[in-house]
Amino acid sequence: MMEASEREVYRAAIHGDREAFEMIIRTQSRALFAIVYGILQNREEAEDAVQDALVKAWKSRWRVRDPEKFPAWLCMIARHRARDLFRKRRTVPLSEMPEIPGSETTQTTTIDRHLDSALASLPDLHRAAISLRYFEEMDYATIENRLGLTNGSLRGILGRALATMRKQLKPALASEQP
Amino acid sequence: MTIHDEIDNYLAADLHSDLSDEEQNALHVHLVECASCRRAHQESKIMNKVLEEKFANEKPDIAFEQRMLAGFRNRVPNRSGAIKTFVVALMRFRASQVAAVAAVLLALVQVGRMITHEGAVRNEFVSAELQERSDEAKDKIAPASGGKVGAFSKSAAVSSYASRNAPGNNPALADATLAQPEVQPEFHEESAPPSLMSVPAPRAKSASIDEKESEAPATAVTANRKLIRNAQVELEIITFDDAVQKITAFANEDRGYIATTSSEKQANGKLKGQIVVKVLPENLDRFLQKLRGLGELKNQTLGTEDITKTYLDTDARLKNARVMEQRLIDMLKKKSDDINDLLQVEKELGRVREQIEQMQGDLKFWDSQVQFATVTISLAEKDMEEPAKFLLKEHAQLALYTPEVEKVYNDLKALASPKVQIANAQLDRDNTGRASARVSMLIAPEESDGVISKAKAMGRVENFQVQTERVAQGGEGMSENAKTKRDKVELNISISRDEQEQAFQQTTLRIRTSAVDEKAKKLRDLAGKQGGRVRASSFSRDPDGREYANVTLRVPMKNYNALIQSLDSLGKVENVSVQRQDRSGGQIDEANAPADLSIQVYSQGNIVSSDTGLIATLRRTISQSAGAIMWSLRMIGVAIAFLAPWVIALVGIIWLARRIRSRRS
Repeated sequence: MMEASEREVYRAAIHGDREAFEMIIRTQSRALFAIVYGILQNREEAEDAVQDALVKAWKSRWRVRDPEKFPAWLCMIARHRARDLFRKRRTVPLSEMPEIPGSETTQTTTIDRHLDSALASLPDLHRAAISLRYFEEMDYATIENRLGLTNGSLRGILGRALATMRKQLKPALASEQP
Repeated sequence: MTIHDEIDNYLAADLHSDLSDEEQNALHVHLVECASCRRAHQESKIMNKVLEEKFANEKPDIAFEQRMLAGFRNRVPNRSGAIKTFVVALMRFRASQVAAVAAVLLALVQVGRMITHEGAVRNEFVSAELQERSDEAKDKIAPASGGKVGAFSKSAAVSSYASRNAPGNNPALADATLAQPEVQPEFHEESAPPSLMSVPAPRAKSASIDEKESEAPATAVTANRKLIRNAQVELEIITFDDAVQKITAFANEDRGYIATTSSEKQANGKLKGQIVVKVLPENLDRFLQKLRGLGELKNQTLGTEDITKTYLDTDARLKNARVMEQRLIDMLKKKSDDINDLLQVEKELGRVREQIEQMQGDLKFWDSQVQFATVTISLAEKDMEEPAKFLLKEHAQLALYTPEVEKVYNDLKALASPKVQIANAQLDRDNTGRASARVSMLIAPEESDGVISKAKAMGRVENFQVQTERVAQGGEGMSENAKTKRDKVELNISISRDEQEQAFQQTTLRIRTSAVDEKAKKLRDLAGKQGGRVRASSFSRDPDGREYANVTLRVPMKNYNALIQSLDSLGKVENVSVQRQDRSGGQIDEANAPADLSIQVYSQGNIVSSDTGLIATLRRTISQSAGAIMWSLRMIGVAIAFLAPWVIALVGIIWLARRIRSRRS
């Protein structure tokens, strides 16, 4: 259950209180970024997607009747936006994508590249769940709430996602092992 | 499910510390036992570390939120005002949405009313006029009442409005009330301020005098006035004579008397009548009070006629006439030589005396009227409307079927006697000579049963209905004592030929035999034996030698079974179908009711056609096979037409499924 003050903020935002909405932007945009980044795997695109999602949420805020559902709804908009963007660039396969300078760090290692491709092979819901967990270190219940999942289903999703990645990264991990 | 099966989920949850203590213990126990899971656990831990590192690097910077905010503000400028926000917030509520819709509808209605000049315009007109009138009133009152204009104009306006609103009131009246608003304050003399008292209009004075006069004690008024009081009372009583006695007693008590009585006896033995009682006016009310105790008061009117003015006028004229009489007498006393003058005076004197007498008579009559109040009492015994007797009226309808209409008709007419009167008799014959008849008769009650049973015996009764009506005479409603008398019975008989009668039962059957014509003849004989009549008969033969004889018979129901059994002797009885219409009523004489049989006697004819020979057979074979081919072609067409849409739909679905699968892959 949401705290009363938090719910009040969401309620005000739904009713058109701009300040409340800006407060939500401050508190929620990192989570949105995590979701979007999980899908897009690109920081700049992810920031744009979060922007778009926030504007869209503001414009269609009246559709939400229950303030409790506002964060999940926000995440859903962000996910849809990210998926749209992802689909647009789908013609270019992930592995052949031009390297974006901003995302490249100097210490790019083999394992990182493998990790990227392993992540890219996952369904976007799995990626969103992983990024929410690792970016925001959210507990399972909150992630389930944000992604609109049923109680207890996240464990299976993350278990499967990590297992898939583990299998793909097995050779690389072997070399990493001390 | 063991932990081993779900090791992936457990490992992930362990990494993210989502396991309960119990689960954690179980996992560790399993890891100690299972080498493969232990390896997976190791790998998971490494991968977790790698992932943590990776995401730590990719985390948005500190300014991320600021960027998001700036971007948002940039893209959604804060232009919406407080009012808009408020309205938007308000419109979120269901109640406000309903209210808004209602307001829009109301506005539309108002616009409609304005366009059609209804309601709103009229109100405007009324209020404008009201304003005008109150202004007018102000002008008139201002000089007279000084500082109290406000109060006056208000009351004037109100009164004018009230008078305008009263139905049938004309505007001139309203003007009149407006023109003399000064009358108003006089009714509130006590409460009105002294400043008002100091400026009374002359008319107001007279009004106040009238008012005072009317408030004078009633006794003083009645003493001088000539009032004729009378009352009408209508009473329902148990017994007339008792009531009359009591009324007489009451009248004596109140120093009155019975002026007239009248009574009338009704057919049902009840009495009603009228009593006129004279009592002293001052005792009238007490007398009426006593009357109420006699029975149920149905109606009472109390009237007072004020003849004061007429009385005084007549009195004055009488005095004048007396003076005139005196003068004429004086003139007569003077000796005059002219006989003509004397005659003239005498004549005049006679006329004046006649007038005097008439006026004296009038005054005396009025005096008597005034002296005693007249009470007219209408008395009626209880259950006045109870009927005196009841009359039982019987209407009987009889429908007869007979072969000889005319004979029955004449027989019925022959029943006529003083106690059986033929009211109407009619014999109709149509262009084919078939007759039908109607007879209406009035029968004395004691003869009715006999006559009706005689009439019934004259033919087959198709329908007989008796309707009895009880008619109250000399009143209405119910009565315990009234006698019941039987009236003449009205009997309407309709006679029709029995052929027109619908068969009670209809049977169709076929008889297969070899000698059709002969068997048909035999069939007719059999029917004759069973009292049946042949209604139609026909015979035919076709080129193949098949013979048909159609015979339609009518037999009484009682002989029906015997006839059907005897039919077996004619040949093989086939296709027997029976149809019966059970009539409701139960008055039908079933044994004699007609049953119709339509029988077809037939032979099978030649099995081998006369048209034989090799060529004929060949021709037939070819034509039949051609027919068979055409038939199967047609069937194929039907099958194609039936299956084609399904095939098309199926192909479409398969194509779609393939496409979707290829897209996915």
